[in-house]
Amino acid sequence: MTRALSFFNDKRVRGVIYQAAVLLGLVGLIVYFVRNASENMMKAGIASGFDFLWRTSGIEVPFVLTGYTQQDDILALFWAGVANTMLVTVIAIVLATLLGFVVGIARLSSHWLLSTLAGAYIEFVRNIPLLFFVLFWYFGVIAALPAPRASISLFGVAFLNNRGLTIPLPDAPANFRWALLAILVSWLAQWVVARWARRRKERTGRDAPVFTIGLVLVILVPILVVTYASLTTRWDVPALRGFNYRGGFVVIPEFVALLAALVTYTAGFIAEIVRGGIQAIPHGQTEAASALGLRPGPILRLVTIPQAMRIMIPPMTNQYLNVLKNSSFGAAIAYPDVVSLFMGSALNNTGQAIEIIAMTLAVYLVIGLAVSAFMNWYNARIALVTR
Amino acid sequence: MSPAAPALTLWRQRLFGSPLTGLVTLALAFCLAWVAIPLIRWALIDATWVGTTRNDCAPGGACWVFVRARFGQFMYGFYPPDERWRVNLAAILFVVAGAAIAFAPQRLRLRLGLAALVALPLLGIWLLAGGLGLRPVETREWGGLMLTVFISIYASLIAIPLGIAFALGRQSELPVIRLISVIFIEFWRGVPIIAVIFLASLLLPLILPGGIGIDRLARAVIGLGFVIAAYMAEAVRGGLQALPAGQREAATALGLNYWKATGLIVLPQALRISLPAMTNEFIALVKNTTLVLVVSILDLLGIAQASLADPNWVGMNMEAYAFSGTIYWLICFALSRWSRHIETSRRR
Repeated sequence: MTRALSFFNDKRVRGVIYQAAVLLGLVGLIVYFVRNASENMMKAGIASGFDFLWRTSGIEVPFVLTGYTQQDDILALFWAGVANTMLVTVIAIVLATLLGFVVGIARLSSHWLLSTLAGAYIEFVRNIPLLFFVLFWYFGVIAALPAPRASISLFGVAFLNNRGLTIPLPDAPANFRWALLAILVSWLAQWVVARWARRRKERTGRDAPVFTIGLVLVILVPILVVTYASLTTRWDVPALRGFNYRGGFVVIPEFVALLAALVTYTAGFIAEIVRGGIQAIPHGQTEAASALGLRPGPILRLVTIPQAMRIMIPPMTNQYLNVLKNSSFGAAIAYPDVVSLFMGSALNNTGQAIEIIAMTLAVYLVIGLAVSAFMNWYNARIALVTR
Repeated sequence: MSPAAPALTLWRQRLFGSPLTGLVTLALAFCLAWVAIPLIRWALIDATWVGTTRNDCAPGGACWVFVRARFGQFMYGFYPPDERWRVNLAAILFVVAGAAIAFAPQRLRLRLGLAALVALPLLGIWLLAGGLGLRPVETREWGGLMLTVFISIYASLIAIPLGIAFALGRQSELPVIRLISVIFIEFWRGVPIIAVIFLASLLLPLILPGGIGIDRLARAVIGLGFVIAAYMAEAVRGGLQALPAGQREAATALGLNYWKATGLIVLPQALRISLPAMTNEFIALVKNTTLVLVVSILDLLGIAQASLADPNWVGMNMEAYAFSGTIYWLICFALSRWSRHIETSRRR
């Protein structure tokens, strides 16, 4: 009796029993759900399996990057949706980071009016739902733009109207491929130079003008190459014919509205991260750096920013993943992202809810896990090495 | 010297202390005037406040007549006007109960809180949905601000207990429980909320036994509740990790078992630490309730959006957005101030 009691009082035995019970309950629940689902699907006559992916989709998509057409299969529709999601996510991340840094630094400015206005902006966007901004930009701003005939002309080459943004498209993209290659090569060269300079400095203590070289390689070369490419290419500039613009590439209004909403909203959160990151650096750090004779520029570049980055990177990653997830808000204004194309249109056509939901969620989970893994690696690399 | 003079000098110093400062001030003031003056003229000076139809509205200004005419819908959706007192009563009950718990003597507070936690949600559903002597009102007719508040409260009734459970699970020494908690939390945090609302509305009827119809609104609330539970779990985990390990060790040394140590020693302190973070998650929840729009449930933003289609009130986009946006902003701003207040008052 006492032995049996002490057996069940053993912490390890109890742990095993608890865990077995929880696992059993969970498996039972899942089996119960799966059985209900298969029964319900049988009754409703819904097929299962992934065969539907190779059926012709027949769904028209107004904004395609992958070359998808109505005659392609549903899998191609899925990839078209993923491409659209990625496009708006990447552009929104870049623009929101820029705007967020500007607002965050303005918030820290010693200029009273500047920092107050930045603060007002942050408090404004953070306390309003993102869906509000999406609808506002789409139905409030873009819909209120003039018709194509009275478009707002941007330098005579791009035209903004209530049917979207019409931008010129190069006729021969070959030059741009070379330009892209040249940019990648020059960025690689900068990486090699920086590595070499660091090694040499560790060995000999001599400085190399890495910053100046970097300025040339990272910024000047791309600008020159792109300028050259765009000057030597013939451009398909949009022109007004009848009631709308012909030629060029039409960025649909849904994209413009979703991008504007994502950028303005996310910038408010990034600004707070930037402010927090910079404020977290103890004042003694900058004082010590200037006591060592560093000028304000190098102090910012060598002392403040590297330390602030370390604090900012984890929340920043979170924000970037939020942008990815929030790009699905486009479904509310029918921007053809993966949620609205696949979980909306394709699901309506095929009725295969479980497969389609699983694939859609997998897109976000896979990207999320990949980004988290990369960020963990990066974080470990730049983390403070103690002892 | 008048008392205003030092203040004036201070402001001159702040805004025009150096040539560069002055230049920035002028540029910003110009931008501000460029945005704010037309806005104020539109919203206040040129606006129409009284009237009954669209014809009463002056051109060029905001037409707040529109908001007045539709105020009932913005607040209650399509809830039958004769029954709206029930919504008001439910709201008053929640507020009074909250105040009673907050001001109750310490020894009664826990019991009162638990009683309210069990009784109020049921009472609220009864008042809103009807039945048992009250006229039934289908959830299809609910809408507006009332629905925003309803979804926020009921989703957090799912999210907070689940979140606490999974936060404890993630800290558990038992590997299987820890793994299940981590998978639950990371899964729901990794997927977009809009997809979860779709998922809940499509999958919940599928995985329940045939014949059990589950209400459209209930599906959305359950879906939101699960996602927010994962975020709440992370907020609670912050509090659990901030608590010194000595607290649990001391409780165990005094002979308390896991549940007693957790319930009496660890959680009360950890929850107090994570209250600001949990409030922030609640703010996110309030903002995310707007997403029920995608399954055609019309909360405040949805009603505002739907009102744009009214042929009698064409072109009221800006008024509808300004009104609904202001209400969201006031709610979220007040909550975030409160969260910041508890955070700073603790630090002192």
